[in-house]
Amino acid sequence: MDRAADPHIASSSRSALVTRGAIAAAALAAGGGLGLFARTTPAAAAPPSAEQDRKIFNFALLLEYLQAAFYTAAVEHGHLAGEVRSFAEVVAGHERAHVAYLRKALGPHARPRPTFDFGDATKTERAFLKAAVLLENTGVLAYNGQAANLTKPALAAAAEIVSVEGRHAAWVSSLAGEPPAPRAADVGVPSGAAVSKLESLGFLRAS
Amino acid sequence: MTEPEPTLASIDVDGALEETAGAVLGITRAELLARSAAASAAGAIGFLGLSRGSADAALAQTANDVAILRFDQALEALQAGLYTEAERLGALKPETLSWARVVGAHERAHLRAIKNLLGSKAIKDPAFDYGKVTADESAFLKTAVAFEDLTAALLKWQAPRLDSREIVAAAVSLHSVETRHAAWIRHLIGLQPAATAFDKPASQRRMAQLIDSTHFTVSRPKTASKKKPRFTG
Repeated sequence: MDRAADPHIASSSRSALVTRGAIAAAALAAGGGLGLFARTTPAAAAPPSAEQDRKIFNFALLLEYLQAAFYTAAVEHGHLAGEVRSFAEVVAGHERAHVAYLRKALGPHARPRPTFDFGDATKTERAFLKAAVLLENTGVLAYNGQAANLTKPALAAAAEIVSVEGRHAAWVSSLAGEPPAPRAADVGVPSGAAVSKLESLGFLRAS
Repeated sequence: MTEPEPTLASIDVDGALEETAGAVLGITRAELLARSAAASAAGAIGFLGLSRGSADAALAQTANDVAILRFDQALEALQAGLYTEAERLGALKPETLSWARVVGAHERAHLRAIKNLLGSKAIKDPAFDYGKVTADESAFLKTAVAFEDLTAALLKWQAPRLDSREIVAAAVSLHSVETRHAAWIRHLIGLQPAATAFDKPASQRRMAQLIDSTHFTVSRPKTASKKKPRFTG
């Protein structure tokens, strides 16, 4: 799907409706695989710049907003107990800290906080674990996919965050009975692929 | 867990990609490749050196990148050897052995990937003597936690110091796996898997200190000298 062809998505409206479209726009801004550069070699990807850092950090901020809201809702409504509860509490704190970091780094460029609808995913332990495994793994791959597009200082900062996301992914996978480290390499994915996954979860309010 | 041990041949690029794209994101490899705009996926995939036909496509060109990757080669060799020996001896608790089996396979794959990135600039793997560590539960766990936490920190220190963007993409794909190893083993033994919201980097000097403190290394990697070892038996 070539989202770049959709003028609504390509526009940078500050609509309060944070919808699939806005998510896709974030992906577009982050230079995700949207067809424009589909056939180019890695070396032809846009070189790192402060402007590109901002776009990527805003994409990361979207992921962190989503994760922070997810864990916060799960702690409040998930009837979680034991280690699953303490996992959710600890990770909620981490994701809120990531949001705060990115917002501060972006300053006036920070995107507004969207609203999310997690449906039943934050209401039972089983649904929570399943969604959390997916969110954490997707987060890791999305960060890894942008690493080489960041300037050195931004890469250093992003590495401190993705490191913790990788730990969350392994921790929640252990709790869910899934392999904590399923691959020898977490090969990064384009932002568009990560966004498609997040859309398919239905957590983002449709336009 | 009865998951079959991945062989080096099975941990190829196609496999990694299929797992990533399919298992996590529900898209096909072809789609992912077609949609890959950035240095990210294609760079890491093409140049982890695990793919067919890329063995001679050494990416490490600058002295800086070569130095960093050579350090990592020795470190991955140390870890691969440590976990592989523990698995072979089979003296640890079942869950620890299960961890060592999976993580050992990962570190062997990392070692191979790094050697491919280095191409002809790869060093000879150092030789190691792990003493009793690979058969002593407590000593092994302590050593494994220390190495996994510090390896993750080291890769964070190195990432912004690399010149090649393709190598950055490859290195970060190994970095997050090291953080998973660290969290996994910490969880196994009741330590907090993710103790802080941000993980700080640690320098090569710090890692060299840890390696020295173990006395595991019995031969230094030699790159220039072609001299035969003094004792050849």
